[in-house]
Amino acid sequence: MSRLWKEFSKGLWKDLPPFKLVLGLCPVLAVTSTAENGFGMGMAVIFVLTLSNLLVSLVRKIIPAKVRIACFIVIAASLVVAVELLMQAYAFPLYQQLGIFVPLIVVNCIILGRAEAFASKNPPLLAIADGLGMGMGFTMSLTFLGGLREVLGHGQLFGHTVVWDGFEPLSFMAAAPGAFVTLGILLALMNFFTNLQRKRKGLAPVDGPTHDCGSCGVCGGR
Amino acid sequence: MKPLIPTLTVSPPPFAHCGKTVKKRMRAILLAMLPAAALAVYHFGMDALRVMTLATATAVIAEFISDIVMGRTSQVDDMHAFTVGLGFAFLLPASAPWWLVVFGSTTSIVLGKMMFGGLGGSPLCAPLVGWAVCSLSWASHMDIDAAMLTSELNYPLSQLKHFGAQSIAGFSLNDLLVGRQLGGLGAIQTGALFIGGIFLTMRKHIKVAIPVGMLAGVLITAGIFHAADPQKYAPAMFHLLTGSIIFGAFFLATDSSSSPMRKIPALLYGLLAGVLVIIIRVYGVYPDGVPYAILLANLTSPLLDRIKPKPFGRN
Repeated sequence: MSRLWKEFSKGLWKDLPPFKLVLGLCPVLAVTSTAENGFGMGMAVIFVLTLSNLLVSLVRKIIPAKVRIACFIVIAASLVVAVELLMQAYAFPLYQQLGIFVPLIVVNCIILGRAEAFASKNPPLLAIADGLGMGMGFTMSLTFLGGLREVLGHGQLFGHTVVWDGFEPLSFMAAAPGAFVTLGILLALMNFFTNLQRKRKGLAPVDGPTHDCGSCGVCGGR
Repeated sequence: MKPLIPTLTVSPPPFAHCGKTVKKRMRAILLAMLPAAALAVYHFGMDALRVMTLATATAVIAEFISDIVMGRTSQVDDMHAFTVGLGFAFLLPASAPWWLVVFGSTTSIVLGKMMFGGLGGSPLCAPLVGWAVCSLSWASHMDIDAAMLTSELNYPLSQLKHFGAQSIAGFSLNDLLVGRQLGGLGAIQTGALFIGGIFLTMRKHIKVAIPVGMLAGVLITAGIFHAADPQKYAPAMFHLLTGSIIFGAFFLATDSSSSPMRKIPALLYGLLAGVLVIIIRVYGVYPDGVPYAILLANLTSPLLDRIKPKPFGRN
């Protein structure tokens, strides 16, 4: 149980996908103009990520190592088509807002990254926990980023006006460059707080985003 | 073995050892900006003074606070923040509201300078970063045409953009030279800025190649357009004396950390900025292309810095 919790909770802060792993930046930059878009995108990713982790983990012993990437992509693509059709049926306005970025979940680095680094080496239950955790971390980050940009750029949050009268919205934040600047500042703040925590524990500060080998399987643990 | 991909290196100047200090250089730059600031107050009244003092004060305070937050030894007494704030104020219309000035000036310092590691680390000219953020956000408050309501002066570049080359016949070059036009409050005092720029060049505080390249780029490109169709395109001298070209060439493009170091790269960098200004003015949506032209040229400066002599002894 504690292992399950550990795999679930690492996606929420320690390996938070967009800010700690710096993965999946394409949707992070493109669809976070409002909190609602960010949240919708996050939900789609939770769905795809959890199910693809489960499926990859189930078939991990059958797939030959040489064609594993192609298999992961096929699994992710089937799930994304399902999400796309579901969204068209039940959340059409959101689908129109997100546009091309829904099909692009197929090539989202987080999906492939978790399949390769975690699900293909671990039993199904752990893989589900990992997928859920990472997906929720991703949703949280996107909603937060989207909310920040929506409040500053439009003076609204989830479509409700939240600022005082006479507030002049900072339209720069709602435009494309605002996404890059906000992401950069948030990354800097995350590192700042990480270092503050390490300092309190008496450890040396670190440069740049940190993660352990659990988030990357490239060297196979060597 | 030679690496397949060339490594792009941004090395932070200045390295010169000649008894000059950053403080003395900044003091000279401020001195060179003084006549333009005085003319701005003469033309736009206390409003101009309000914008300039607010912008400089905010810039200095913002730098001091970010020094404390980032745990650095404060170097705010080198007066660089003062020049950045004044440079930002020079690009604003005199009617800018106070919160815009405060926000833009803080952005210039924090986003344009301190985020990259303070003086010498910034890849972009700091005042232009604040200007770009503000003009993308509050186009209506940064709109120079809006200032026409309270002033009898005109904005020549907007006239040129919207009514064609026929409409600018009313502007005499002498009027433009003494700043009888609308625009960024200090940036349009072209005559005063030109004198200040010459002073800086004589004292070798800025690289001669950059303003020379930029002014040449403007004159040549605008000259070609004008020669091709004098009915449609404004003459080169008109372009040179309107908007913030002179200010950009002598004060913004020469920012030491965001411009190339050697002579030939600096000349190319200036030429690029100059050509871009006219291209943006002729084809772009912005009446005055100087800030974006210089920001784009800033981005090429690490590339241009790769043009360097062969090390002695290597064949």
